[in-house]
Amino acid sequence: METLRFLLKKLVEDRVALLGALLILLLIFTAIAAPFLATFPEDVAEFHPPNRLIAPDSIFWFGTDRMGSDIYSRILFGARITITIAIIAIGVSVIIGVPIGLVAGYYHTWFSDLLMRTSDIFLAVPQIVLAIAIAQTLGPSIENIILALSATYWPFWTRLVYAETRSIQKETFIEANVALGASPIRVMFMHVLPNISSSIIVRTTIGMGGTILTAATLGFLGLGAPAPSPEWGRMIAESREFLPEAWWYATAPGLAIFLVVMGFNLFGDGLRDILDPRIRRSVRHDE
Amino acid sequence: MRKITSNRREASRKGGLIPTFLAAVIISVSGLLAPITAAHAKNTFVFANASPYDTMDPQVVFDVGRVAYRLNLYDGLMRWLDNPPKLHPWLAESYDISADGKQYTFTLRANAKFHDGSPVEAKDVVYSIERILALKKGASSLFVKVINPGSTKAIDNRTVQFNLNKSSAIFLATVPEVHVMNSDLMKKHEKDGDWASAWVSKNDAGSGSFKLKRYDPAKGFLAERFTDHFMGWGDKYLDAIEFRTVKEINSRVLGLMKGDFHGADGYMPQDQIKRLVKSDEVNVSEEESMRIFYFIIHNGRSPMNDINFRKALSYSFDYTGFIKDILSNSVARNPVPLPNNIWGAPQGVKGYTYDLDKAKEYLAKVKEPLREITIGALAGYGQTEQAAVLLQSALTKIGVKSKIVAETWPVASGKMRDEQQMYDLLPLWKSTYYADPNNWVGEMYYGPNIGSRNNSWYQDDQVDQWITEAIGSTDQAVRAANYTKASTKVMEDAAGIFVYNTKWFGPYNKSVKGVRFCPIGNAQEMRWVYFE
Amino acid sequence: MRLLVLILNRLLWFFPTILGLMVITFTISHVIPADPVAFVAGDNATTEQIEALRVQLGLDRPMHIQLFHYIFNLARGDFGVSLYTLRPISEDLASRLPATMELTIVSVLVSTLIGIPLGVMSAIRRNSFLDHVVRVFTVSGLAIASFWFAILLQLLFAMELDWTPLQGRTSGWGPEHVTGFFLVDSLLSWDLSELRAAAFHLILPVTTLAFPAMATIVRFTRAGVLNAMNSNYVLYEESMGFPKRVIIWKYVLRNALIGTVTQIGLIFGILIAGAVVVEAVFDWPGLGYYAVQSIIQSDYNAIMGFTFVTGVLFIIVNLLVDIAQVFIDPRET
Repeated sequence: METLRFLLKKLVEDRVALLGALLILLLIFTAIAAPFLATFPEDVAEFHPPNRLIAPDSIFWFGTDRMGSDIYSRILFGARITITIAIIAIGVSVIIGVPIGLVAGYYHTWFSDLLMRTSDIFLAVPQIVLAIAIAQTLGPSIENIILALSATYWPFWTRLVYAETRSIQKETFIEANVALGASPIRVMFMHVLPNISSSIIVRTTIGMGGTILTAATLGFLGLGAPAPSPEWGRMIAESREFLPEAWWYATAPGLAIFLVVMGFNLFGDGLRDILDPRIRRSVRHDE
Repeated sequence: MRKITSNRREASRKGGLIPTFLAAVIISVSGLLAPITAAHAKNTFVFANASPYDTMDPQVVFDVGRVAYRLNLYDGLMRWLDNPPKLHPWLAESYDISADGKQYTFTLRANAKFHDGSPVEAKDVVYSIERILALKKGASSLFVKVINPGSTKAIDNRTVQFNLNKSSAIFLATVPEVHVMNSDLMKKHEKDGDWASAWVSKNDAGSGSFKLKRYDPAKGFLAERFTDHFMGWGDKYLDAIEFRTVKEINSRVLGLMKGDFHGADGYMPQDQIKRLVKSDEVNVSEEESMRIFYFIIHNGRSPMNDINFRKALSYSFDYTGFIKDILSNSVARNPVPLPNNIWGAPQGVKGYTYDLDKAKEYLAKVKEPLREITIGALAGYGQTEQAAVLLQSALTKIGVKSKIVAETWPVASGKMRDEQQMYDLLPLWKSTYYADPNNWVGEMYYGPNIGSRNNSWYQDDQVDQWITEAIGSTDQAVRAANYTKASTKVMEDAAGIFVYNTKWFGPYNKSVKGVRFCPIGNAQEMRWVYFE
Repeated sequence: MRLLVLILNRLLWFFPTILGLMVITFTISHVIPADPVAFVAGDNATTEQIEALRVQLGLDRPMHIQLFHYIFNLARGDFGVSLYTLRPISEDLASRLPATMELTIVSVLVSTLIGIPLGVMSAIRRNSFLDHVVRVFTVSGLAIASFWFAILLQLLFAMELDWTPLQGRTSGWGPEHVTGFFLVDSLLSWDLSELRAAAFHLILPVTTLAFPAMATIVRFTRAGVLNAMNSNYVLYEESMGFPKRVIIWKYVLRNALIGTVTQIGLIFGILIAGAVVVEAVFDWPGLGYYAVQSIIQSDYNAIMGFTFVTGVLFIIVNLLVDIAQVFIDPRET
């Protein structure tokens, strides 16, 4: 409790991180309250072809799209998709990647090498390409995007946790525990993990931003949920045909992505500054 | 130049080096001050194409998007020209059909030459048809059922004889797809029995109006006028043609408006056509085409195998909203599986309308339990997605749940062959491959074609009988009557949702003249085009 | 000694890693919903024709046999032919690799040549106006969706202002082919109009790619410089009376550069990944777009081909970075 209050105090002091936190809260609030905040909530599924491609005005705050739907309302509902993908994808990749990294880092056998080389295989191809291949194989849908992102993101966690575990292993208190006969699992999860958790938390927040960008890219390439899903990346792809006249069509969803990712990045930076000043000094980062 | 010399003397002193270098660079680089114009030689026509030209082999692909090199680098025995399309003798100067309709004898012109100067002879035609049958790609499906390998004979240098295994009224209409290749040249480049595929995929073995000069699969191709072409040349022509791949539609439109491209594809969305019409640089020619837009319905799967459900679907599409609002009335309502303007199309048919009450009426009669329907769409083809979305929202209103699956054409076309994998519904166009009603209703709703060209899994004995008769007969009146009956029945059975017949809106630079539009080839034949 | 162990270890794992990569790719590319044979055979093909084609292409054999044949051929340098066009994959790869490399290298140059000085200055003048502007820029750089940024650049500079071309690598066929790098080739043949065209066509794609890379470089350089400036060593130098300027340029900058070098592997990753999107938006005829196309068309051999090439490149780069790590900071291993 003390630590939490301390953390919050530090957070409020760092105005940039505070801005980030506010943006994140805005995203969450928008996602939850979308049906109430939207001016045309039914436009997620209903269409009005006579209203196509109207510039932003007092009725359609961000203009309308190619099917005549209100872009502002669709963006609000798109926030739900964004949050869902980000949370689940990161969650799953952490759950897979962290234990593997712990085991690989803790042991010094050929098995560790095997695990690390396996993760190398996944890292050998650019994440986006592998994600495209997986999404293409499974078919375009939100579930498959989440799967593709998780399957390609876990190696980053593994590498991070591996490096951190290896460096912590040299610390005296770990050696002491091992000498005292603590089981490896106990050491890993009760001693190593708590000490590297701040690293993981910081990385999670920053990783959210990156995941949202990759998910938007997949949506842009047409691999996400199909029409008429109000997914932000897909909306930008749809808009290309109508540029430069319908400039609002591309601008609004892009701004939404930008603000959300910015929020996570700022907050993550702030967290890092607070939680672990030690990390700041180290230049070796997988970001 | 003198300036540099004096600077050089100065430059021998330390510190003068930099000014020297700068001066030298600036002067020699003044060439860069010229504006960047698209680097064309004068009198080269540049066309911006949506699909990439993956290969220069005319016998391995058979789609509308990549027709340009087949039309301009190669010739067939006959050729479809103009609108309404007429079949003209081309490499052949005359032909003869036997009484039983199974033997076609063509007499070749005496003066036709290949690009390497050698004469076009009957043996080249024989080689070409054998190659098509052997490779089994591209247009081969049009011929495999009627021509057996080895049955085509070169009677003499200028006479070639096709011996079909059954009478086919559409053979002549499809013969333009036998692109005649230079057999001597091809045999020289054959490797391991590949019929010279590796070589000809990037080279030219044709006799067409233009000969290949440059080809890069990532860019497109450039071809120069073949002065010895047998059709001869008037006094106005192009020196070279260049077909470039420009995938993004907006890039094609903006390029046209800037004058970087002289022509582009004619089936762009109406939003783009409106922009082009407004531009001073571009003229848009409008022609009635033969390319229908419809939803394929999987008639073999429940609940679409129930005619009441299909009728409910047919009453659930907002035809007017789609045509008027989304397509700005640039297309014509076409309620039958044949374009309104081909002979044999039923006239004066009203077809289905957007009527949700009627839809609910028919839906109530469906006995099978309802489930979520899968509507396919083609990724990258916005119109198919818009149509799917429109249908989906109407279906929701009558209580039918649906989901949309957008996939790319390679994936979708693969699924279309498989009864299990095919979507419940898929919006699609059907273009003209040969100008005969068989191209539509005869391919799409003919029982024996199920799984290949019939992706609706529709089979009706009566319709099959009419079509079989029409293919076998040589009497146009009989054939027309049969196709009329067949397509009317297909419409009454609601085997598909037939939406519109498109118009062709060809965007060309204002200086381009002589474009001859034909629904087959879509005006990509460049031999009559010139700049004014 | 440690270095030798590391290198040996990595070399030992090189082949199994590549093999593993190939197996995974093979499996993924063959477990696709599409039937590329049906697609290649054409809309009008019959079922018999499709099956005949399948046999002809050797795709009816069991998967493990196909895999074996593929790897065997690969060892001889034969990447196979495209399922789709029957053209050798190695040709496609060879023609597309320079396009991506040119884009990537120019982006690396731009982002380092601008990013490092910016990072240093930002650190030296910490909390100044410049520093704040730079920090806003770096945060945005990592938050902006590159495909969106690319589209905005196109909207503003190509469509509205008409200052740059809209897409593509050049307006015509490019300079006489020597290396495949347009900037180099046009200089070699002294074709100035081609040089200008190539340069102008590079502007928007490079800006899009370099932006996030620059943001990363600025951050790390800045952090590295701040770090070095606060280190005991520098304080010692200062107290000994060395002029600040000398200290900065000699020691601080070197540390900063070292920090950045270790990020090269990371930057390379960002750029290759970014190249996929940038190539798609700007219609750049490179490897990234080829990758996406082959996946979408289910062109097995093409997919395997480019995966192999990028995989090898990546592994090599990572290996070099890890080796550099050993030299630079023996403590870290």
